[in-house]
Amino acid sequence: MLHSIETKSLSKSFGNVKAVDDITFSVESGEIFGFLGPNGAGKSTTMMILTTLLKPTSGQALVSGFDVKTQPKQVRLKIGYVQQESTVDEYLTGRENLFLQARLNHIPKDQIKKRIDEVLELIELSDKQNDAVVTYSGGMRKRLDIAGGLLHRPKVLFLDEPTVGLDIQTRRKIWKYIKKIHLEFEMTIFLSTHYMEEADKLCDRIGIIDGGKIQVIDSPQNMKKAMGNEVISLVIEKFDDENKFISKLRTIEYIKKINEDQNKIVLFASNGTEVIPKIFQMASDLKIKINSISLTQPTLDDVFISYTGHEIRSEEGGFNRKREHAKMKRLRA
Amino acid sequence: MNSLLYDTYTIFWRELKRYKKSRSGVLIRLIQPAIWIIVIGNTFSGTEPLIQSVGFEGQYIEFMAPGVIILTAIFTSIFGGVNTLWDRRYGFMNKALTSPISRSSIALGKMSAISLIAALQASLILGIALAIGVTFPNPIMIAPIMAIVILFSLGFSGISVIVAATAKSQETFWGVINFLGMPLFMLSPALFPLELLPDWLAAIAKLNPVTYTVLLVRELMTGVSEGGISALLSIAVISVFVLIMVGLASYVFTREVNKPF
Repeated sequence: MLHSIETKSLSKSFGNVKAVDDITFSVESGEIFGFLGPNGAGKSTTMMILTTLLKPTSGQALVSGFDVKTQPKQVRLKIGYVQQESTVDEYLTGRENLFLQARLNHIPKDQIKKRIDEVLELIELSDKQNDAVVTYSGGMRKRLDIAGGLLHRPKVLFLDEPTVGLDIQTRRKIWKYIKKIHLEFEMTIFLSTHYMEEADKLCDRIGIIDGGKIQVIDSPQNMKKAMGNEVISLVIEKFDDENKFISKLRTIEYIKKINEDQNKIVLFASNGTEVIPKIFQMASDLKIKINSISLTQPTLDDVFISYTGHEIRSEEGGFNRKREHAKMKRLRA
Repeated sequence: MNSLLYDTYTIFWRELKRYKKSRSGVLIRLIQPAIWIIVIGNTFSGTEPLIQSVGFEGQYIEFMAPGVIILTAIFTSIFGGVNTLWDRRYGFMNKALTSPISRSSIALGKMSAISLIAALQASLILGIALAIGVTFPNPIMIAPIMAIVILFSLGFSGISVIVAATAKSQETFWGVINFLGMPLFMLSPALFPLELLPDWLAAIAKLNPVTYTVLLVRELMTGVSEGGISALLSIAVISVFVLIMVGLASYVFTREVNKPF
């Protein structure tokens, strides 16, 4: 089967900053593939390379069989790209925006009207099509953006953080539309997100990316399975013998993986109910005070933490993003 | 070639749609040239003997009206490229860049829309001039005047697109544009005859495409030619200027938008 997207040792540097660092992966034709990672992890940069907006520093990327570096024009004919921020013209109507998009993508003149009616129907904006976009809600704008990316029936649809900044109901609605269009057009969808739930709900496979590197690629189900059945989170009082405690914990056979972040310790275990008493025993031997303990089912959140060693933090990410932006600006000056 | 025209029209269509929807902008942009023609036109009416000494029969306001029409064209077109910066900031540019249309058609579409808008604004000023008493010996001349204004504005929109594509911020854009716009207008016979300028200023003015445009439009409006510059020479200079700017703008635009913003 032909890979829809294929990258080999893809890298992109801005000066000394390696935004994308030697990533290799492939996306099967027809699947929904999610790129999951915090802001500044390299998701957008990768997407900009795949959509021909940035040239890779090294490595190769093929989209629908064409090289993004040497055959960008062919790639552009095969892709739809829905950006993170809304890119529709506010003072134009919904329909005018789609007409513009249709012309940009060289849809034959005699089909433009039909295609626009079709996508308007699909995203349920037919009744608002002649209103200026300035009167649309955030969710409606996003739907219009997505509709624009679908008009020319691309082989691969890129969705860059499709639900960022939307409230939870709207987000669910957008998910519904994404699933619907995937079913209807049978296209490959490549989406990036920093929402675990989004990746879990939508994607056939997920690639976790952090610091410009892909940490793991698998289906959400397999990822959670690999973590063991249970997650035990401990909050302990800070003390000197921490390492001793951790290495003691490692001797418990049911524990598959341990992550520590300051005074928080997360254990991935297969038999939590038996592990907890042992933990208490070890803690009291070392005179360590446990402030809290919890036993939960693993979520993608835990998977993410286990591979990257930290949680996805939007706030911190937002800060980094600004810094990255400033960095890029300086590089250009 | 066919698709270049098709794509250029796509961008042209979008720019004009945006212009049409910003009705308040149309009027605001008319205020400045209207002040010029009314205030400067009357303030300097005492210079009529000077104007007449170089062979111009009539009022000062009739002499300078073509200058203000060109002023409108200059500033409308040289400011016109600023939305390139917005397009890059707010993603429309990326949308266009990931679609199959060529980079130069984006620049060409923008430039043709800007020059048409500049001509529309200039025609409104022409209307104001007529309303305050500037006479027109031959009304048919409006057609070639508008053609020249469109052509000339195409060249200036090229300057605007070059600056906008190269500048990374609004501040840089406005700084450079203001630095360019005023001197290009002042170093021309828009307000004062070429013959009465000091030699060194006249020499500089003769390097300025604005000079030839003003002389040509004034000749079409009033029938008086100045400075021994023929209409044919003016048309040639303007055409060369426009060709260079259009070519350069498409080239610079294509080069710049391929860099990260």
